[in-house]
Amino acid sequence: MAAALTLESISKSYGDFQAVKDLSFSVPKGSICGFLGPNGAGKTSTIRMILGLQPATSGRLEILGAEDGRKVRDRIGFLPEERGLYKKMTPVEAIAFFGALKGLPSGEGRKRAKEMLEAQGLGASRNKKMKELSKGMAQKVQLIASVVHRPEFVILDEPFSGLDPMNQQGLEQMIRGLAADGATVLFSTHVMQHAERLCDKVVLLARGRKAFEGTVDEAKGRTTRFLELEGAIDPAAVQALPGVAAVESAEPNGDARVIRARLSEGGGGQEALKQAFLSGLDVRRFQLKEPTLHDAFIALTGDNPDVDQKQRPETEAAR
Amino acid sequence: MSRTLLIARREFLAYAKTVGFWLSLLAFPFFAIVGGAVPVLMRTSEPVRQVALVEEGPSAQGLAAAVREALRLDQERRQAAQAQAEEAAARTTGMPKEAIQAAQKQGGAGGLSALRRQRVAIVDTPAALAAAQPGADQERVVRQLLDQDAPKAGRLDAVVFLNRAGAQPTARVWTRRATDDRVEDFIRDALRTAYRGQVFQAAGIDPQVVQATERFRPDVKAFSPKSASGGQVGFRDRLPAIIGLASGFLLWSLIITGASILLNSVMEEKSNKILEVLLSSASPTEILTGKVLGVAMLTLTVLCAWGGLGALALIQFLPQYAPMVGDVLLDSGMIFYFLAYAAGGYLMYAVLFAAIGAFCETPRDAQTLMGPIMMVLIIPIMVMQMALTSPDAPVVRILSWVPFFTPFLMSARAPSEPPMIEIVGTMAGMFAMALLMVWIAGRAFRAGALSDVKLSWKSFAGAVRGGGN
Repeated sequence: MAAALTLESISKSYGDFQAVKDLSFSVPKGSICGFLGPNGAGKTSTIRMILGLQPATSGRLEILGAEDGRKVRDRIGFLPEERGLYKKMTPVEAIAFFGALKGLPSGEGRKRAKEMLEAQGLGASRNKKMKELSKGMAQKVQLIASVVHRPEFVILDEPFSGLDPMNQQGLEQMIRGLAADGATVLFSTHVMQHAERLCDKVVLLARGRKAFEGTVDEAKGRTTRFLELEGAIDPAAVQALPGVAAVESAEPNGDARVIRARLSEGGGGQEALKQAFLSGLDVRRFQLKEPTLHDAFIALTGDNPDVDQKQRPETEAAR
Repeated sequence: MSRTLLIARREFLAYAKTVGFWLSLLAFPFFAIVGGAVPVLMRTSEPVRQVALVEEGPSAQGLAAAVREALRLDQERRQAAQAQAEEAAARTTGMPKEAIQAAQKQGGAGGLSALRRQRVAIVDTPAALAAAQPGADQERVVRQLLDQDAPKAGRLDAVVFLNRAGAQPTARVWTRRATDDRVEDFIRDALRTAYRGQVFQAAGIDPQVVQATERFRPDVKAFSPKSASGGQVGFRDRLPAIIGLASGFLLWSLIITGASILLNSVMEEKSNKILEVLLSSASPTEILTGKVLGVAMLTLTVLCAWGGLGALALIQFLPQYAPMVGDVLLDSGMIFYFLAYAAGGYLMYAVLFAAIGAFCETPRDAQTLMGPIMMVLIIPIMVMQMALTSPDAPVVRILSWVPFFTPFLMSARAPSEPPMIEIVGTMAGMFAMALLMVWIAGRAFRAGALSDVKLSWKSFAGAVRGGGN
């Protein structure tokens, strides 16, 4: 499939600090691509370079056939990480205004705004001021504003942050809808569950470097299954079981422990479980678990995606 | 519609659609009228104090008559002052004196009739007071007459006991309000006049001669080769300087107001995280230009509204001045200077303030740079007043070359016809600086809009150097 976005050895430095290091990946047309990494991994810097808001220090990129987003501004939709709209505008006015900036005629923008608000259950709020809407409603309005012009490429920076589970589900549906209509979607997140449910492809980023590029299944295939045991068990005894690569965690639970052990490559876990029973370990509950994308991220990068990696110098813009 | 115009239209409507904008627009002319009317109102509404005089014994004989005579002379002086003011007004405007008096009656020149108004009236001494025995009895009657709750018909504002210590007149003034010293001042002046007359008479000088010399007001006329009549200086000659000074102040007020609106608007967009969305839809140049243009339209709306209201007021209340003001604005090119300086000045300050706003989320953040800038901006305000009387003073001429002061000082100096080299040179400098500011502010705006850096002189300079890269 042809690529809608290609990055080749892109780097970005702020003075002595290198935020993005030699990053290369591509996003096929019409796919949903998750751009994953902890806060501070370099996702926002990369997105800004794709949009042309900041130049790359080195490397090249191509988006929709152009060398950066500025040349194809009207064909891109963008939802930034930190959101906001004009508080005194109504949702219809705000959506139509941002649509107009992307070349959509005002009348058509208002018409589409009303339809899209209706579809998102915000029809009754379309003439309220933005400041009167809840945070979830405002975020939906902003997402609509970023795609009202029906862009070919949609970039969403941490779109799920700050949303309650109900709204997160609604947003996932919207993203699926955009892809179904033929748009290419690149979204960044540090919450792996969303990517696991949505993405055709993921790019894992840690400390400014790409750690992985491929499908969710391929990412999971890079790590092994887990054996979870609960009982009054010594973690060292679990570590000694055959086929166990490492004990990942041992959480106390009343008089027992919940021990999570990563299995060796190719290990199914049956052998370890059999030996646990034979050696008389106090196994009250056991479970063989498939790895999640979160597990894959940790295995591939050695970092926890929930831990901030922000270390950019305070004076980045002044450099 | 281009992105720049879309942003400009949104910027304009965001303010123009608010009630607050129209209220603040009308506030200036309203307070200008109130500011001008209040002193006149204060003069005309000041109550006339009802004063009774009591001569304390034979030694005080003649002092009450002297005080009455002083009051009559005061009235004469006030009438003369009013007549003189009317003559001056007739001379400068070219209007007949009768027309000015008629206008006064309509309230058009209420300040002149207020000149004639007396503050003190001497009434007959109430019988009870005249009959009261000096001492406690007299004091009791005085307190009754001055009592706030006494019937208004018989109530007094002050009672004055006149006496002599040796040859010199003295007085005890009882007033209804302890803070009101108007009667005390009047009596002091009256007794001084009485004593002077007494001393002059003793020295053999006729009191009539003294009064006549006091009433004398020399007739002094101003002439200048630059006057419109070719000789005597009239109001028409002074009008351009007045308009120039007013233009300077108006420009200062409009430019700083416009630039401050822009600062707040950018700060609001930065704090609401709208700037990044805008930057993904339009270039920094388009955003900055759109915002500057939108606020310029807003400033122009204010200028047109104030100008329109001013013109209407002029035509309605002082129609004889309207052609003169028109001449000064159009024939002498003041309006073109004003517009050119307004454009250059607005551009310089607007882009600078917008760039500062791009680094800030609250006015407090902006304080680091805005504090010193506002302090520097006080300088033209102070120097402009000097430009009215001494437009060629070295300090005025030198500061006119500072591009940030040029719009205000040159507007104020324009009526004095400064050398062409100064007009062209300062204007070129101002527009060159405006272009430089556009370049600097464009780079700073781009860097500030995407940055979390706190504003400081260092970070601002760094942003200009880096240009957001």
